[in-house]
Amino acid sequence: MTVLDAPADAGFPGRAALRRHGVLIGRLALAALLVAGWHVLAGAIGPLYVAAPLAVVERIAADLGSGELIRHSYVTLRLSAIGFAIGCAAGVVLPFVLRRMPRLTAAIEPYILASVGIPKYALMPLFILWAGIDDAPKLLLVGVLVFYVVFIAVFAGIRSVDRKLVTMARVLGASEMAISRHVVWKSLTPFFLAALKIALPRAVSATIIGEFLVGNAGLGYYIENARQMVDIAGVFAGIVVSIIIVLAINALLTLLDRRVNAWRPVDRDMRL
Amino acid sequence: MTMQPPLLEVRGLAKRFATRVGEEAPRWVIRDLDFSVAEGEFLTIVGPSGSGKTTLLNMIAQVDTATEGSLLFRAQPAPVTNPKALNPGLSCQIGYVTQEDNLLPWRTALDNVLFPLMVQGRLNAESRARAAMLMEAVGLKGFESHYPHELSGGMCKRVSLIRTLVYDPPVILMDEPFGALDAQTRVQLQTDLLRLWNLGRKTIVFVTHDIAEAIALADRTLVLCRAPAKIIGNHIIDIPRPRDVDGLLANPRFVALYQAIRSQVQ
Repeated sequence: MTVLDAPADAGFPGRAALRRHGVLIGRLALAALLVAGWHVLAGAIGPLYVAAPLAVVERIAADLGSGELIRHSYVTLRLSAIGFAIGCAAGVVLPFVLRRMPRLTAAIEPYILASVGIPKYALMPLFILWAGIDDAPKLLLVGVLVFYVVFIAVFAGIRSVDRKLVTMARVLGASEMAISRHVVWKSLTPFFLAALKIALPRAVSATIIGEFLVGNAGLGYYIENARQMVDIAGVFAGIVVSIIIVLAINALLTLLDRRVNAWRPVDRDMRL
Repeated sequence: MTMQPPLLEVRGLAKRFATRVGEEAPRWVIRDLDFSVAEGEFLTIVGPSGSGKTTLLNMIAQVDTATEGSLLFRAQPAPVTNPKALNPGLSCQIGYVTQEDNLLPWRTALDNVLFPLMVQGRLNAESRARAAMLMEAVGLKGFESHYPHELSGGMCKRVSLIRTLVYDPPVILMDEPFGALDAQTRVQLQTDLLRLWNLGRKTIVFVTHDIAEAIALADRTLVLCRAPAKIIGNHIIDIPRPRDVDGLLANPRFVALYQAIRSQVQ
């Protein structure tokens, strides 16, 4: 197949370009189809269950104008960022500490792996019990979720580091610190970035869930409050803004990934 | 030769690997190995595949422990049998060019060469100039910002070679560094190596299974037998330098040495 296709493309460069644009056109058409489907569905089911796309756009525009949505988005982003920073720092540092203590690692590894199975959201009532109804329980939830994703990735990443490169670096005079930084960290960066792609959206989701339960600000509060007021357009507006935030974060991560992993011969087109 | 103490001395070195299920006795890869290397000497060691050549260099480089024996560097014993005290590279005094290039794939060619200088805290204008000089000497000028996966196998070998030369360790171990290359690239790299060696006259211990290569490069060639490895031949290579690696095949002295060594290598 490839053998036959390749010369055809080479002969008509316009066809390859058309094929590329074809994908883009297809994507846009699919998006239009989805919005149209949404519109039809909203009409069929009624505004008590599904808000119409236009109503949602109007609501977002209005609440952006009043500053309401910006305030709630800021609250959610701030909590997500702080919780993420705490979980991420712990998730990176702990595996590097354990790397130097193989016996301790062997001892606690089964417990760590078993604790991965704990459904973290189920702990939220406990977090509220222990940490009150301020930001603290939400930070705990976000931190724990992010920690596990990052920890597992970095832990596995450290295991997969080419031992020959580490030995070579040692022969070349690198200290353990320099090896951690210039060999181990560099070789697990792809693992770390893959973890970020999962952990960052999860941090936002966890914050929103926390806001459903406690507090009086944030996108989670905005959505839940609208639901209680039977303001379905408000619910949808909150959801759409949350989606936009997560997509924007993912776009930034993809940019970061391309920069940091520019040396890699493969995976450059992989996106999540 | 003057009677100054050898730079590097290997005494009674032995290596045994753990017994596997079904094996009666422990497997000695190397046993009772003695040899020494003088300052500035280019020593090559030939032996058949599986004669423990890599294991030998790993022990000298202190990346692997010896079961028995001792290693002296400038008459000082190095902790070769104690796994806790191993000092890979003996504090940057023993360079090691391994069989695989072991370049850091996320660093460019130049950054790989600068790596030892950086981690040893010796990165300055002078050492950078030396790195640039070496890059140029092996024909890598213009490839400084290429990543290893963008370079050919021969170029990667050159990078790994000068990554060790750049910090100037007193002894350099080389483990069949040109093994996986095509014949032409090989001769080119051998010529490069001889030229670089002539500039600084480093002490080199070069391991290979290729007898012609062993003779072409060396001042002296040792022959190892199959496991458990021991030295069964010691040949002074009295072919005058500078040598033309390609033209050696027709040299009668080369032919005589080749036949003498060939009869010992099984």
